[in-house]
Amino acid sequence: MNRLHIAIERTKLANGLHVVVAPDSTAPVVTVGVYYKIGFRLEPQGRSGFAHLFEHMMFQGSANAPKMQHIKLINSSGGVLNGSTSYDVTNYYQAVPSNALERVLWLEADRMRALKVDGENLKNQRDIVKEEVRVNVMNQPYGGFPWLDMPPVAFRNWANAHNFYGDFADLDAAELRDVQAFFKTYYVPNNTVLLILGDVKAEEGIALARKYFGDIPAGPLPTFADPSEPEQMEERRGYVEEKFGTLPAMAIGYVMPKRRTADWCGMAVLDQALHGGRAGRIYRELVLEKQIAVEAGGGIDDLFGYNGPTQMTTRILHKPEYSSEATLAAFDAVIREVQENGISADELEQLKVKWRSDYYATLEGGRGGYMPKYGLMHLLACFTLFDNEPQLVNTILDGFLAVTREEIHDVAKKYLRKEKRAIVFRTPAKAGAKEVA
Amino acid sequence: MATRTVEVANGVPALAPEREVTWPKRTKTRLANGLEVILAESHTIPKFHGELFFRSGNAAVADRSPGLAEMTATVVRTGTSKRASRQIEEDLRRIGADLSTNAGSDTSAISFGGLSEFVEPLLGLVNELAREASFPESEFERERRQKLEEVKLERTQPGFLAGERLRKVLFGAHPYAYVSPSEAQVAAYKREDLRFVYHEFYTPENALLILVGDFEPQEMLKTVEKVFGHWNGKKPETKTYAAPANPRGRRIYLVHVPGAVQTQILAGCQAITRKHPDWVKVGLANSLYGGAFNSRLVMNIREDKGYTYSPRSSVHALRQHGYFSASAAVRNDVVAASLTEIFYEIDKLRSVPVPEAELADARNYLSGVFSMGLATQDGLLTQFSTVALNELPDDYLETYRAKLRAITPDDLLSTARKYLDSANMQIVVVGDRAQIESQAVLFGDLEIYDAQGNRL
Repeated sequence: MNRLHIAIERTKLANGLHVVVAPDSTAPVVTVGVYYKIGFRLEPQGRSGFAHLFEHMMFQGSANAPKMQHIKLINSSGGVLNGSTSYDVTNYYQAVPSNALERVLWLEADRMRALKVDGENLKNQRDIVKEEVRVNVMNQPYGGFPWLDMPPVAFRNWANAHNFYGDFADLDAAELRDVQAFFKTYYVPNNTVLLILGDVKAEEGIALARKYFGDIPAGPLPTFADPSEPEQMEERRGYVEEKFGTLPAMAIGYVMPKRRTADWCGMAVLDQALHGGRAGRIYRELVLEKQIAVEAGGGIDDLFGYNGPTQMTTRILHKPEYSSEATLAAFDAVIREVQENGISADELEQLKVKWRSDYYATLEGGRGGYMPKYGLMHLLACFTLFDNEPQLVNTILDGFLAVTREEIHDVAKKYLRKEKRAIVFRTPAKAGAKEVA
Repeated sequence: MATRTVEVANGVPALAPEREVTWPKRTKTRLANGLEVILAESHTIPKFHGELFFRSGNAAVADRSPGLAEMTATVVRTGTSKRASRQIEEDLRRIGADLSTNAGSDTSAISFGGLSEFVEPLLGLVNELAREASFPESEFERERRQKLEEVKLERTQPGFLAGERLRKVLFGAHPYAYVSPSEAQVAAYKREDLRFVYHEFYTPENALLILVGDFEPQEMLKTVEKVFGHWNGKKPETKTYAAPANPRGRRIYLVHVPGAVQTQILAGCQAITRKHPDWVKVGLANSLYGGAFNSRLVMNIREDKGYTYSPRSSVHALRQHGYFSASAAVRNDVVAASLTEIFYEIDKLRSVPVPEAELADARNYLSGVFSMGLATQDGLLTQFSTVALNELPDDYLETYRAKLRAITPDDLLSTARKYLDSANMQIVVVGDRAQIESQAVLFGDLEIYDAQGNRL
């Protein structure tokens, strides 16, 4: 078996900023990421959607690089850039020809040191975010399903249950002083990791990090609200109307174990057994064999990147001639089968080979056909911020390859229980819609 | 209409000297049976990626039915003379591989990737799918019913409806006018039609195999000969279709979606193919106009006015013809305002020479992004297949950046005048008629359709 080893150098600056460098001179390209340990899970109450709106504001100008200059300087250096907000982290990243490395570090340091935005920028970005929500959610068939529909049904703690894209009233209520307060609280170097991957030497990367970020003052470490959930004791169900789509849909989510436990490894391999493409049990039974569903897929969202309550979720679009209950019964039969009989040694062997192959693809992979090393960057960032151990990227695979049949059988019985799940039914408003029991 | 003054940054570090961009060496050969093979090493991960292309797609069988090559590709993976569907899927998992089969307007393809330690079993399966697909009746029937639900569903997506209408308007009677079959056409698909397409298209004389990854090329070539060497089959006859009429004068097409809370705008005109000598210039004009984050359209209707999240423009190269388009999903009350800015920026590019500094920025952007393909196996595969399928010169990748650097403001002005054909752009808006009709009619003769394609 060929094992892939990623060379990594890491340090922590005096101001608390983590720095991770992963040199690889294959291509004359360098990817730079900055991850702040704050996501939409822990944004302020009454300000739903704020973490994401704030991410937009980070492109609106800093002390020495006014509005549009960050974007202009990256593009005109031959690079691409973006940012994204998730449950527990917000990231900013760019891939550039390696001769632009210093420029990128200067830009990222400038906005970490001093964001400089005004009310006009805020209004502009608020309008853009509303169009983002419309194009991705409100004006799309199955928009936001199930990532926005599931949390209010599944969870009881506001942190996990609120609208992460933001209610428009909350977006409208956001003020410039909220922006500055959020920046001051969470965007301190000691809550952050800087990643430099690709065409750079390890010692050069670390020296440049020191040069550009070393004098940014640390702030008080942010305190985080407790995101834990009261233990779930009953199945939860919710109903959402589908405005445009023609097919009835449902999503079933089971609460996941904590990250980096033995059960977590077992669930990750079980996830491959259930949701691993056309060979996965759910697609095979519901789409290929019983032919009830048109789409059936899902899994654990961001296995390495969650730091609070989350679920393994299956998303099903089924034919209108089958009722929701009949579809759910077919799904339940798949779950019951693995709970009763576990999986065979042969199946487990297949799953492990596929797991290893997919893991390598993640490490190499970009994002949407661009942004080389996005996957490696994301894993290194999460292993640094949550585990303080970026080297896990070279060893984490062992835990998954050591999972046994007994462990798979055990986690199937322990976690795939009705009282540990939530179901959202998304039913077309138009004719043809059936009952939802 | 001018955007607000842009301030400049202070103290930006200069760029270091550029590192040379070197594309990996390609091993190119043709087997005795006509199969064209391109191999290249990339050792980023212990895997390899490949694609077996056939130089015929939906357009080549459009006279039978739209989407037929795509349906054929879908059913190809569901059974061979040796393996049933479930066996195929489990065998793929056993060797850690991914595989998909698909077809577009001009090509059909089997795409795959897997661990380097299992090269031969994966290529063996690809070969089996290319030569011995058995089109089991029950699998065909399931996929056909599945497709029926998919074609209903895609008519609920604003992006699909806009793209479909624009292609109809731009390409008229040409097969490129069809992006998807109708429900009735899917219902009428026959297993025999698929088998016909398969036997015509899936032949070594019509095929191109590209492999990129963690392997030694001479050894890989031996494996390729061993696996694919005994396959035989002739190139299908190429069909030619009359060039589509180029629509004259601006017209606007409204696709009515009751209750839409946003309007999808898509405007376009015919342009050129990748083989055309002006391709690199059109690419640069597009990049300046709306192809990059730092482009004029994005700066205007997103960052200055906040009308939209996702404005962009693109040049689309189909094998026989190409087109240019600009798109944005905008607030219902700013449809007319957005179209005004979309045309303002096109007309400006056609009237005023681009400042040298802005041009240099755009050249750098395209030049840098082009090299990103070097970093991944998949990125390399995409670049190599673009060159081969469009029959571009062998040194295309090596000379692209020099061609880009030679483009002047005058070149760009004449390119924009020629290909960003403002006066003859065809405009599609997908949204709620009650909210946008009065704005739409300001831009030309208006035709209104429902989501099923019926004229209202």
